[in-house]
Amino acid sequence: MTDTKTWARIKSPWVLHFNSGACNGCDIEIVALLTPKYDVERFGVKLEPSPRHADVLLVTGCVTQQCAERLKRIYDQMPQPKFVVAIGACACSGGVFEGNYNVLGGVDKVIPVTAYIPGCPPRPEAILDGVVKLLNALNPPKQKKSSKQVEAPKEETKTIIEEAKPIVKQ
Amino acid sequence: MSNNKIDILNVVESKLGSKVQIQPGHLSTGSIIANNGLHREVLKAMIEADEKTGIIAISGLDLGENLGVYYHFRTSNALVTIKTEVPKTNPIIQTIIDLHPGAAFHELEVTDLLGVIFEGNKPEGHFVLSEYWPQGVYPLRKDVKANEIKLSPPQETNKPAEDPRQVKIIIGPQHPALLEPEKFSVTVDGETVTKVEPRIGYVHRGIEKASESRTYLQDVYLVERICGICNSIHAAAFVEAVEKIIKVDIPPRAKYLRIVALELNRLHSHLLTLGHAGLEIGYETLFQYFWRDREPIMDLIELTSGNRVYSSLMAVGGVRRDIRAEDIPKIKSVLKTLRGQLPFYRQIYTDEPTLRLRMKDVGVLSRKDALALSVVGPVARGSGVDIDVRKDEPYEAYAEIPFKEIVYKDGDTWSRMNVRMDEVEESINIIEYVVDHLPSGPIRLNLPRSVPAGEAVNRVEAPRGELFYYVKANGTDKPDRVKVRTPTFANLPSFLKTAIGESIADVPANFVSLDPCFSCTDR
Amino acid sequence: MIDYLLLIFRILVFPGFTFILLLTLFCDWIERKIEARIQNRVGPMVAGPAGILQPLADFIKLLTKEDIEPREAKKLVFRYAPLAAFAIMMFAFCFIPIDGGSVLSFGSTVGGFNGDLIIILAFATIANFLLFLAGWASCNPYGTIGSARVLTQFLGYDIPLFLLALTPAFIAGSLQIANIASAQATTFLPFIFLAPWAFVMFVITMQAELEKDPFDVPHSESELVGGLETEYTGAKLAFLHLTRDVQIVFGSALVVELFLGGPYGPVFFGPSWIWYSLWFVLKVIGVVLISEYITTVVARFRIDQVLSGNWRILLPASLISLILTVALVTWVYPLLV
Repeated sequence: MTDTKTWARIKSPWVLHFNSGACNGCDIEIVALLTPKYDVERFGVKLEPSPRHADVLLVTGCVTQQCAERLKRIYDQMPQPKFVVAIGACACSGGVFEGNYNVLGGVDKVIPVTAYIPGCPPRPEAILDGVVKLLNALNPPKQKKSSKQVEAPKEETKTIIEEAKPIVKQ
Repeated sequence: MSNNKIDILNVVESKLGSKVQIQPGHLSTGSIIANNGLHREVLKAMIEADEKTGIIAISGLDLGENLGVYYHFRTSNALVTIKTEVPKTNPIIQTIIDLHPGAAFHELEVTDLLGVIFEGNKPEGHFVLSEYWPQGVYPLRKDVKANEIKLSPPQETNKPAEDPRQVKIIIGPQHPALLEPEKFSVTVDGETVTKVEPRIGYVHRGIEKASESRTYLQDVYLVERICGICNSIHAAAFVEAVEKIIKVDIPPRAKYLRIVALELNRLHSHLLTLGHAGLEIGYETLFQYFWRDREPIMDLIELTSGNRVYSSLMAVGGVRRDIRAEDIPKIKSVLKTLRGQLPFYRQIYTDEPTLRLRMKDVGVLSRKDALALSVVGPVARGSGVDIDVRKDEPYEAYAEIPFKEIVYKDGDTWSRMNVRMDEVEESINIIEYVVDHLPSGPIRLNLPRSVPAGEAVNRVEAPRGELFYYVKANGTDKPDRVKVRTPTFANLPSFLKTAIGESIADVPANFVSLDPCFSCTDR
Repeated sequence: MIDYLLLIFRILVFPGFTFILLLTLFCDWIERKIEARIQNRVGPMVAGPAGILQPLADFIKLLTKEDIEPREAKKLVFRYAPLAAFAIMMFAFCFIPIDGGSVLSFGSTVGGFNGDLIIILAFATIANFLLFLAGWASCNPYGTIGSARVLTQFLGYDIPLFLLALTPAFIAGSLQIANIASAQATTFLPFIFLAPWAFVMFVITMQAELEKDPFDVPHSESELVGGLETEYTGAKLAFLHLTRDVQIVFGSALVVELFLGGPYGPVFFGPSWIWYSLWFVLKVIGVVLISEYITTVVARFRIDQVLSGNWRILLPASLISLILTVALVTWVYPLLV
């Protein structure tokens, strides 16, 4: 039964795309994945509208302060097992905008990230490669004590917004 | 041409005489220094003289003891700046939105970022900054440091509609119709929209402040990333403004190569919008076809510059890469294939009944409203207003290249999409002309790193409309102020007007015909 | 005793539950491939040979997801409406002759009873209504608007659907689906040739009932996010999707039975039930192809255009079609035969 479950999860990853303050470069490359030249539906990937339907969250953009709260909420709305892919240099670490006054810098300051795809913007082939690698990593390795590695990380990280609130109360 | 230019400054001088100080030739056509509320008189005189007077931007700057508020206006053939100053201790100035409604958003932004209070235009909460931003801290002032801001608890809540029979629907920030996060609170009465309230600022990355702490060389890469779709155009606008301050003329081959990059950008952006419109009205097949035809253009961008999206071709003094002679046949063959596909798409737009049902007579913007709100780009040209920076104030080598300006009269979504489709053909013509007539010579001048003190304005025609840059240099290798006014920022008020009175089901189609790019809007 | 065992086999395996489920998943795959091909793409390729196991992978994956129930949702309806809708659709399918007789045919009878055409159309309406309740119970603004649109659309289009379904019933002289299908077999003339206008309008009305483009409004992502399915996750979402897919196959099967001669066709050798099942599957796939082609090449109407199209165009047209068919059958066709 575990094999069928894992097989189904690998063959049918539904993605949700969220832009947390990006310049649109990475977003256009993600939408280009659906077009005839790259055709990501071959892998069973469907672009879903609602967070409740999706397995993989594709996040682009250096996370601005306003988007951080919404990003956390969307992540919480997704059902387990879920994975987060940070696409683009801005989502990995803040990119060119690191240090600006409205920018948190990197998705992993808000939610746990499973895969990082660098680039500015990464080519659609690079994004596809990253998604396929993520899916293949779900396959348990041939040893016995492998089932733990398949599950998604469940730890919660505090957001910077939540950490900021005590500063004001003093 | 020169007779018409002095006209508007003459008009102002004849009406107001010695109350204002006129400097012809400074900052494009000329600038007028008008303090103590006289800016309203100057604006009244300009509007009476020329109906096509429209606001381009309001630049706010920190001048030490005072705050500068510069109003940049365009007339039929001139770019005039009205400079005023208010003291930091009492930064109050009168609004101009009763004379010119299109200035509303610009004033709100200056209030938010610099702290200037416009009497008669008070914002509710922040406009561009986030709801966690503390009150009383203005990021563009020189004494505010980026890493010393302490956040405060949010002060905005979603208020329900005032009339209890009406329902408030919130579109965004995560919504499949929007590629970018923005929030629109749409109040509906049944199925008819009665009010649209936008909340922008979700993509605000503080680029204007960041550009002050980076050198001019680094700033080229920074302003390029304001928008991933029209990136070369931002870079070109910035380097042209800096070249105007240095007062240098770049070699002709560099001008032609810049035009190739700019027009390729326009091509891929229009094809993107035309395809995205299909997605909004449920026509996924059209979306797939347009984006299939867009891929060879991305290959061309990669051929000429080395990267699919961010070409980074522009530099202060010219361009960084040349086109090889053996690449030119490839460019021409790709463009020829694209030109052959256009009749198919034109036929869909004229013949397909479901598309006409969704796009005809939807989101109508009248010519009068287009002029009052000072919209730019295909939104204006679809409503009969013929403004195009490439024709009004030719930059680079556009004065030497023959092309048509596309204007449609109806002002609905269908017209705006047709403007873009025809502009695709015009861009193909321009690129073909340019690669056939490339002059020889150097492609880049070697300029020193520091820029002498001065200021300049620059306008460029981006795919979405007129893009405006104001750059102030102070003699070091870092700019003092870079002000960017993007076309979507100017066009957004028109959406708030055209959506009212129509069905909520028309909102997506109407919205995409505006071609919004929120990363440009928020910077 | 053997008859009862055979009946249970017929209900559970063939041509009952398992067969219909496999046919549904197969038609889902065909739809995705056709849509991809028209759009210059390839479609699912990785799950199984040529991607044929993709719908099954989607279904199993959804079953293994975490089940989230919003605090505000109405628990009873939220939990059981998707499953109930699926069950009712499957039950409605049991009256359609598939291999010469319907699933519930007992012994050598052809199955069904007089009036079962009306009953299964009523079941389809009840299943749609349960879907509306499912969206309503999730207490999400998008779910509410989406389900309200589902209600408006299917209630409106039910009326022309019934009227147009009566046309072949009138020609065959019976309200029992099995009799309508076999009437076309005995005369070797499918009703599509006798009343082609009714066939065209029935296919269009079926597009609207099944909520496919251009009548795709309840599922329009750009306006409604997820429509009535927005809050559903896991197994409930799997059954909502499956209900919709079974509805598509059900609608195509109705078109086949009423206009295309049902499962009856030439039998070449061997037992007739194999050939009847084969003809049934081929005809259903043919109708699914036509329907998916229409879906892919047009845009989506607005909700007010959908409704005005129904009340102003389709309803009068279906009335005229009924009157015309009655006149033709009573006076003209007996002269030709």
